[in-house]
Amino acid sequence: MSELPPIPRPEQAPLPPPPGQRRIVLPPHRQRARRPWSVRAREWIRRNLFPSPGGTLLTLLSAGVMGIMLAGVIWFVFFDANWNVITANRWLLFAGSFPREEAWRLWTSIAVVMFLIGLAYGTWSSLGRRDTLFVVLTGAFVIFLMAHGGASIWSSIWFLVAIGLLYVGYYLTIWMPRETSTRRAWQQRIVGGLLALSLPIVLIVLMANGGATTRQFDGFVLNLILAPVGIVGGLVVAIPLALGRASTMRTIKWTCTAYIEIVRGAPLLGWLFVALFILTDVIGDNLIINTMVVLAVFTGAYMAEYIRGGLQALPSGQYEAAQAVGLTKLQSMQLIILPQALRISIPPIVGQAIAIWKDTTLVTIILTLRELKGNADSAIAQSEFIPDRIEAYVFVAVVFWVVAFMMSRVSQRLERAQGIGER
Amino acid sequence: MTDELTPVDIIAESAGPKEAAVAQPAANGEGEVYSPRLAGSKDIIVTEHVDKWFGDFQALDDVSLRIKEHEIVVILGPSGSGKSTYIRCLNRLEEHDAGRIVIDGIEMNEDVRAMAAIRSEVGMVFQQFNLFPHLSVLSNITLGPQKVRHMPKLEAEALAMQLLERVGIPEQADKFPSQLSGGQQQRVAIARALAMQPKIMLFDEPTSALDPEMIKEVLDVMQELAESGMTMIVVTHEMGFAREVADRLVFFDEGALVEQGTPEHFFTNPREERTKLFLSQIL
Ligand SMILES: Nc1ncnc2c1ncn2[C@@H]1O[C@H](COP(=O)(O)OP(=O)(O)OP(=O)(O)O)[C@@H](O)[C@H]1O
Ligand SMILES: [Mg+2]
Repeated sequence: MSELPPIPRPEQAPLPPPPGQRRIVLPPHRQRARRPWSVRAREWIRRNLFPSPGGTLLTLLSAGVMGIMLAGVIWFVFFDANWNVITANRWLLFAGSFPREEAWRLWTSIAVVMFLIGLAYGTWSSLGRRDTLFVVLTGAFVIFLMAHGGASIWSSIWFLVAIGLLYVGYYLTIWMPRETSTRRAWQQRIVGGLLALSLPIVLIVLMANGGATTRQFDGFVLNLILAPVGIVGGLVVAIPLALGRASTMRTIKWTCTAYIEIVRGAPLLGWLFVALFILTDVIGDNLIINTMVVLAVFTGAYMAEYIRGGLQALPSGQYEAAQAVGLTKLQSMQLIILPQALRISIPPIVGQAIAIWKDTTLVTIILTLRELKGNADSAIAQSEFIPDRIEAYVFVAVVFWVVAFMMSRVSQRLERAQGIGER
Repeated sequence: MTDELTPVDIIAESAGPKEAAVAQPAANGEGEVYSPRLAGSKDIIVTEHVDKWFGDFQALDDVSLRIKEHEIVVILGPSGSGKSTYIRCLNRLEEHDAGRIVIDGIEMNEDVRAMAAIRSEVGMVFQQFNLFPHLSVLSNITLGPQKVRHMPKLEAEALAMQLLERVGIPEQADKFPSQLSGGQQQRVAIARALAMQPKIMLFDEPTSALDPEMIKEVLDVMQELAESGMTMIVVTHEMGFAREVADRLVFFDEGALVEQGTPEHFFTNPREERTKLFLSQIL
């Protein structure tokens, strides 16, 4: 064979201009947005509320329905209801038999958690005007409750400090230098680590050195402890379960499958009975600990299935590319597969978290542990508050809703914060 | 199969030092030289009588092929002929069922360390890019060097930037894969494979998922790589690339290696009927 033809040199494609040098020109519709707000408001109203005769009719109809409902709510909240049942029993609802002289432990825990939430917000997201509105409303409501019942001024100050720490944490992360991806990664690692440690930290603050015993976790505080333990414990159980069920080793696969199917086969109510009658012989007669175990075991089975769904949703090319790069199985799981699978399963996992949050009320029925709903029951069992049943339950419902709503917002934020890496 | 070939410039060659350490059947000896520039190169990939079954279906049927260091081999064949299966066996994304595969003197077997050693010598580029979508472009490239080669982060990043420079997209380092065009993604994938400093690069239809205007930018990078002396095995339907860059074309059909030869041989007088039929359809 003769010489091959000479290989032509590749042409170099011209580089696009480096970022930052482009002039930003607003598209026409953005430029127009600079008209006075009154004009824009009028336009918005016309476009969104009265676009056509049919649309106008619908607007009026729904405005009427909403108006009637709103009037009813206002009437109930401000004129009809007797909120004394809440203000008089606020410690019972909040912490029940938690020793009052140890209240500083509760406030400190709240402050620590608020600070960490602030750090997390600054690291992965940003506090918007709506978040601030939410904080202000909730804060005002809590202070009102405390002031109305004549609580010591110190608890109000503690609470304000806790709210302040939310913003301190937030602006701390914003202020810290994080231009490079390395610094951002470190910040995320540190804050993530602190968040992971927050539950043990809170438990230590509450219990260490002559603090409360687990049996004194009571009222809303009990819900606030049980749910995170169930959720975090569930995740810890779920990840190995999901990997095990996806494993090729038969015994591991079958064990994990059996666990998941058996746990999901019975309602939480049933498993709480196990905590009451069986775990008392196995673990001990501390019902709160038994309940924590059951909640983690139960939540784990569901979350494992969601994570398995995430694992299956990943294209096989991801496994192959990780192998081709030379990563070991463990490394590719840890660095490539799990991060993506977990992200895919954020929405159902948060859904399960919200479910378990609401299900913490079940412990009252089965285990006669007194969480928020249980303590509301005892509040209205007092003769003077018997007529205020509705007020007590409305209050409980609103508190549960607020927390569930916050969780769902966090889920949305997580998804959006992670969305940038989507394919 | 080898004895059926029209020998092209067979140059007898003594075994390299590493080659000598590998036990090889004496009968087979050295592979043939398809281009004068490969004279004196040792065989870096040796596959002998490789079979692969998927259940009852035989995907590879007695494939024997020896590839020289620095050689550019383009594999052709109709869909389902086993091209992907063959090159996936070369870095053990598939396990072969019979025969032997020796990569740079390392026998492919159950030994995990051998597999790790082979994977660090062989880079692979996929049709679907398979970048890690949750990592930035830079992290996609530094991951292997950092985690497998234990390279310090700064060094790995410097290497990654150098490679991005080489594939022509240094300005994309901080983006995520989803923010890049297909051609840019594939070039990142090439850089990611190169970051492990492999001796051999496998390409499985690297341009098949690309829009026509992006094919050239990827082929240019591959051509530059070929000129730099990389050993490359490329499954592709880009006949221009095969003609210009390949030292040797190999034609697969129904899991078997049907014919091999220089591009000149293939494009002027292919011997087998199946090859002729395939080339007439594709050209
Ligand atoms: N994991 C698998 N399980 C079962 N059969 C498989 C598997 N992978 C490949 N095959 C079969 O093996 C044969 C060869 O597949 P291969 O992907 O190697 O073909 P190919 O030559 O790369 O084709 P294409 O040009 O379409 O990519 C095909 O018939 C395919 O259906
Ligand atoms: Mg293929």
